[in-house]
Amino acid sequence: MTRSYLTRVALSALAAGALLSATACGVGGGGGEVKEAERTGKVAGEITFRTLQLKPVFTTYVQGVIDAFERKYPDVEVRWEDVPGDGYNEKLVADAQAGALPDVVNLSTDSFQLLGDRGMLADVAKLDGQVARDYVPGAWEQFRLPGKGEGVYAYPWYVTPEILTYNKVLFAKAGLDPAKPPTSVEEFFDYAERIAAGSDGQYAAFMADPKGRLPGDWQKMGIPILNGQGDAFTFDTDNAVKWVERMKDLYAKGAMPKESLLKSDDINQLYGGGKLVFGPGSPGFVKDIKQNAPEVYANTQVAGAVTGKLGHIGIYAQSLGIKKDTKHLDAATEFAKWVTNGPNQVEFSKKATIYPSNANGLADPYFSDRGDGKDAETVARAVGAGQLKTAALDANTPVQWTNQVGDAVVREMQKAIKGEQDPATAVRKAQEEANKLLAKTARR
Amino acid sequence: MTPAPAGPARKAARRATETETGLVHRNWWTPYLFLAPGLVMVALFSLWPFVNTVVLSLTDAQILRGGGFVGLDNYTRAFADPDFWVATGNSVLYLVVVVPCLVLLPLALAVLVQAKIPGIGFFRSAFYTPVIASAVVVGLIWQWVLRSDGLVNTVFQKLRIVSEPVPFLTDSTMLLVSAMIVTVWKGLGYYMVFYLAALGNVSVSLHEAAAIDGAGALRRFFSITIPQVKPMMLLVGTLSAISALRVFTEIYILGGESGGPGGGARTLPFLIRQVGLGFAGETGYASAVSILLFLLTLVFSLLGRRLSKGDES
Repeated sequence: MTRSYLTRVALSALAAGALLSATACGVGGGGGEVKEAERTGKVAGEITFRTLQLKPVFTTYVQGVIDAFERKYPDVEVRWEDVPGDGYNEKLVADAQAGALPDVVNLSTDSFQLLGDRGMLADVAKLDGQVARDYVPGAWEQFRLPGKGEGVYAYPWYVTPEILTYNKVLFAKAGLDPAKPPTSVEEFFDYAERIAAGSDGQYAAFMADPKGRLPGDWQKMGIPILNGQGDAFTFDTDNAVKWVERMKDLYAKGAMPKESLLKSDDINQLYGGGKLVFGPGSPGFVKDIKQNAPEVYANTQVAGAVTGKLGHIGIYAQSLGIKKDTKHLDAATEFAKWVTNGPNQVEFSKKATIYPSNANGLADPYFSDRGDGKDAETVARAVGAGQLKTAALDANTPVQWTNQVGDAVVREMQKAIKGEQDPATAVRKAQEEANKLLAKTARR
Repeated sequence: MTPAPAGPARKAARRATETETGLVHRNWWTPYLFLAPGLVMVALFSLWPFVNTVVLSLTDAQILRGGGFVGLDNYTRAFADPDFWVATGNSVLYLVVVVPCLVLLPLALAVLVQAKIPGIGFFRSAFYTPVIASAVVVGLIWQWVLRSDGLVNTVFQKLRIVSEPVPFLTDSTMLLVSAMIVTVWKGLGYYMVFYLAALGNVSVSLHEAAAIDGAGALRRFFSITIPQVKPMMLLVGTLSAISALRVFTEIYILGGESGGPGGGARTLPFLIRQVGLGFAGETGYASAVSILLFLLTLVFSLLGRRLSKGDES
């Protein structure tokens, strides 16, 4: 062995050691408590505002809101950054780790949960207790965090409610009355069975993808998803097994497109092509169909979402969180309130198929006008807004139902619906897997 | 003999020698300076992430939470995880089926399009098109071809070859086979170019001599062409083996987020993504599976190397 060889080995070991120690530093971080900012009463300073995929379609609207705010508070400068939907959450995670969150940030339900849980968001109820009454109660309540008392950790922004859309011609073909849409999951399945029986394989009733149906279907059937403490899944019940049996039977009978068991991203194409009776449950979809498939749009009917035993829908609001240790808390707070106030939300809702979470905004006549009751888009707006008024949190996906839990449950359901696994075993295994994942999250 | 330079010319020559020797003796680090940009890039973007992955694989880190040292727990967990074994089995199966196809079919294709006949350029370009097509477009096209009411099933049913649609996309095994078909289809043109280069170096005179001796086209192909492109075959084998073990897109696009019904068509990269992504993503465990995938790739690469060494000797 030569001396130069030894030197090389030693140098490599040294370099590796240096890298190891450096990377190890990164592994241990991330758990520290973020220091809370305090209000000074002076609305001033430069703040950053991050939105989720609003450019370029809504550039004029958002910039208008910002400009008006800056005119009202001349000492504030708002720097707006818009991030595309793909990788939005990943970027948030990276920024949170680097301590570089924007002062005011657009959050979805899961990113809110994540940042809120780790104490990275300011308690907006504490900042301004009076503001609560401006919002729809269901929306305001949504931004509390389990185990964190009465705090509310984001301002509710825009909302998209669940509705029911269906092709009334295909509905009538199956001998169903378009004026009597299903109201429970069980009834929905009965309707699907009748549609499949009369379709001769030309069209299907709905998409099989269990990811899109769970846990909503189970909640609407009155199946307890979690125990009272929220620390264990309890959906392994006879009713859940019945749900799987029904799905399996309907899948075999052709009530759902075969490939939709794995994914449902072609739902708009299928519905627009007249190959599906029940379309996606969002008002935005009705607008898409109007533009892309006018013939099918003319046959589209809108009704309130299937709510089953709950009797109401859930509420999933986009929100604006405030970075807990922002340097300009007053400016950030005033700005978030400004963006989510009634007039600004109503104006936004008129430009996109969304709804205000602001109670004053939702009371605007624009949202209760059904027109002549024949135009699906107008009816969808009124139906959606009507449902939002009574929306409540118990219809929401529980935060414990993470993506990983959802995936684990979906995998077992897919096997059962395809007939590769007994429904009772599938539900039991799904619950075991879900509880294992939950325990793993709770352990830390 | 050249006369020695005199006067200013001699001075200049001496200065040049000094500068040269100066470079060699005084600035020993100069070569490293030239290497530095490359080395820094490699260290930053390859070595560092790799070492970090090894470190993470020994912790229970999650996406937003720093992890504690857990020793080899993640590896023990992987070996006891049925999902890990399904994914490993699928990855190895993928390799076993795809690699021979990608070594032999592009060679056959290259031999076909090597001929210098009018319009052959069109065919060469046509075979290369799938390589430049985006994975998403390729996935969508194949979805339409393979779905239960897609092109293949409609033709099969019209010709009464099958009575029920073939579950190309809804059965785990068939989904894997479909993904393999897409991978091979997409890789054909890519490796064809490799072989075209290798075929250009095959000695024409050897072919002519063999033809004079009465060897037919097949005999010449196996006895002259194959031995001369063998090093390229080994290279293509190794490269396609590495990419076969890393397959993700085809399965994701054809089989959805769950990786086929019940996740039965998941490969190792698929599993890594599934356990590592999302807000509850287990970075530690995902890193451990990545390291195991790396080791598996290493084994197959070494196997390829050994094969090529044996061939040389």
